[in-house]
Amino acid sequence: MVHEEGDVKSNPSQQQSISTHSEVAQSAGIGVEVQGLVKRYGTLVALDHVSFNVKAGELFALLGPNGAGKTTLLHILCTILSPDEGRALIAGADVVQQALRARRRLGVVFQEPSLDDRLTVYENLEFHGLVYGVPAALRRKRIDEMLHVVELSDWRERLVRTLSVGMKRRLEIARALIHDSRVLFLDEPTVGLDAQSRARIWRYLHDLRQQRDLTLIVTTHYIEEVEQADRVAIIDQGKLLAIDTPLALKSAHGHEVLEVSPINAEVRAHILAEYQNKIVKTSEDQLTLKVEDGRFIEHFLSIYGSQVRAMTRIEPSLESVFLSLTGRAIRDQEASARERTLAFGKQGGEHTR
Amino acid sequence: MSAMSPSQDDDNEFATLVRVICGGVFAIWLREVKRAFRDRGQLFGGFSRPIMWVVIMGVGLNPYFRGEVYGEVRFVVPYTYLQFIFPAVIALNILYTSVQAAVSVIWDREFGFLREVLVSPMPRPFILFGKVLGGATVAMFHGSLALVLSYFADVPISSADILSGLGLMFLLAFGLTSLGVIIANRIRSFEGFGVFSNAVILPLYFCSSSVFPLDPALTAAQTRVVYPDWLVRVVELNPLTYAVDSLRGNFIHFYQFDPRLGPLIMAGMAVLFFGIALAEFRRN
Repeated sequence: MVHEEGDVKSNPSQQQSISTHSEVAQSAGIGVEVQGLVKRYGTLVALDHVSFNVKAGELFALLGPNGAGKTTLLHILCTILSPDEGRALIAGADVVQQALRARRRLGVVFQEPSLDDRLTVYENLEFHGLVYGVPAALRRKRIDEMLHVVELSDWRERLVRTLSVGMKRRLEIARALIHDSRVLFLDEPTVGLDAQSRARIWRYLHDLRQQRDLTLIVTTHYIEEVEQADRVAIIDQGKLLAIDTPLALKSAHGHEVLEVSPINAEVRAHILAEYQNKIVKTSEDQLTLKVEDGRFIEHFLSIYGSQVRAMTRIEPSLESVFLSLTGRAIRDQEASARERTLAFGKQGGEHTR
Repeated sequence: MSAMSPSQDDDNEFATLVRVICGGVFAIWLREVKRAFRDRGQLFGGFSRPIMWVVIMGVGLNPYFRGEVYGEVRFVVPYTYLQFIFPAVIALNILYTSVQAAVSVIWDREFGFLREVLVSPMPRPFILFGKVLGGATVAMFHGSLALVLSYFADVPISSADILSGLGLMFLLAFGLTSLGVIIANRIRSFEGFGVFSNAVILPLYFCSSSVFPLDPALTAAQTRVVYPDWLVRVVELNPLTYAVDSLRGNFIHFYQFDPRLGPLIMAGMAVLFFGIALAEFRRN
C-alpha cells in the first residue's frame, strides 16, 4: 500500500517546496523522472536500478518481452505498487510520498479493460470525472470533447457491454483524459485489435498530443508501433538495456541480417559450421545470419547461391536491435493467471457484470 | 476542438480533496445502486425469496406453530408462524444482497475495475466506504421488498415502524456487506455464488432463531430440554440472532432478548467488520 496522506497533510512550508519543485520539473520539461527503481518479489528482481527521464510532451515507448519488468515499472509509476528502492516523480509529484497528487496528474489505460460493462459510455466517463473531482461544468465539457475525439459520441447512452473491443479501448483512452492528466500511460493499448483499429488508436493519440500538453508512455510489443516514438527504452529482465531515439538505436545496435532457407539438412549443417559466429537465430528450415559488410552477401551467394530455396535480406529494424541486445526475439504474449474466474464471468456467471 | 479545456488549478489542495471524496463516494455509491437495479436476476431473487419463505414456508408451517403442548412444555409465543418468520425473511433478503455486493468486489478485482479506482486520487478508505455504502443501500432496499408481503403475513405496519425498521435494516446491511467484503478478500478463485450461499448465508440464517423461537418464557434449563444444548449455544453466539430479534421487535413487537442488545450488536458488527475490511483493503 502506498502512503497517501503525505500531500494532504503536509504543512504549508513543505507545500511551498513541493510546488517549487514541480515548477522546476515543469520548466525543465520533465514529465516523468525515474531514479534507481528497484522492485523485488522474493528473490526475483523485477526491476534492477532503473533510471530514466521522460521529457514533457514526449512519446516514450517501453519495449520488452513478457516478464521483462514493464508492467511492474508501469504499476510503480501509476502508484499502485511501491518500489523497494529509488523514487519516481510524475510531473514533479513523488509516486510514494505524494501519491494522491501524482494520481491527479496521470491517466492510465490498462492492458485489461477496466470499464464497467453495466454502465453506459456516458456513465463510465461521469464516474471517472466524479472520482477525480472534476467540477461539474468542466466534466460535462470534457466528456463531450473526448467522446468526439474518439468518435463515440453516437454511443453515449449505450451500455459498455454492447461495445466492440476496439471501441472499449477507445473509450478507455477518452476516460483517462477526462481529468487534467499530464502523463498518460498506455499498457499495450493496441493488443488484440485488428490493424484498422490499431491505426485509429494511434491517430487519436497523435491528435491528442497536438491538442493538449501530454506526455505519453506506451508499452507495446508491436515493433512497428515503437518506430513512431520519440524515444524507446528497451527493458529485459528488470534492466534498462538501451534508451534512445529509434533511429539512433538502429544505427548503434541494429544490423542487417540475411534469412536463408537451405535446400536440405546437409547444406544447413554446412552453413551452420562455416558461419558459426554469424548465426543469430536458427529455426527448423531457416537460418538468420548477421551481415557485417556488403561483401558478405556476395561471398555467401558465390558458395551457396544454388543451394538455398529462399533468401531475404533484412534492413536494420528495432526487431534486430532487440534481438542483438537481448539475444532473443520479442515473443507474443497473452496468458492470464486468473483464466478460470474470467472464463466463468464471460460465460455469464451469476451476479457478475 | 482545437482548444481543450483549460487546466484545472490544483493550488487549493484541501478543496480538491473534499471534492474528490464527496464526488467519489457518491459516484461509487451510485454505481452500486445502478448496477443492482440493472441486474434482473438479483431483483428477481429479491422478490421471489420473501414470497417463497412467507407464502409457502410460512403458510405451510403456520398451523403447527401456535399454542401447542409438547409434553410438559407449553410455547407461549403469542404470534402466528407467519408473523414470526416475517421479520426474519427481511434479514434473509438483506443477508443475500449484502453477500452479492461482496461478490461484486471479486468481479471488480478480477475484471480490473478496481484498478480504475485505485489509480484515482480517492483515498483508499473512502473507496471502500462508498462501496459498502452502496451495497448496504441495495441490501436495505431488498430487505424492504419483503415489507410488501406484510399484508399476507398479517403484520400491520405503521409508518413509524417502517422508518425505524429501515434504520435497523441499514445498520445490519452495512455490517453484513463489510463481512462479505472480508470474505471476498480471501477468495482467490471464484466460480459461483453457491459456495457463499451454503457456507455463509444459510448457516447464519438458520442459526439466528429465525425459523424457530428460543422461547423467552422458558428457563434456560427448559430451553435445553426442548433443544439440544449445542444448538442453543450456537444461536446465542450468532450475532445475526440479535439482529433478527431487533427486527422482530420493531415489526411485531416481540423480543426474545433485551431490546437494547440488537442495535448495539448490529452497530458493533458494522464498526468491527468495516474496520477489518478497511485494514485489509489498505494492506493489499
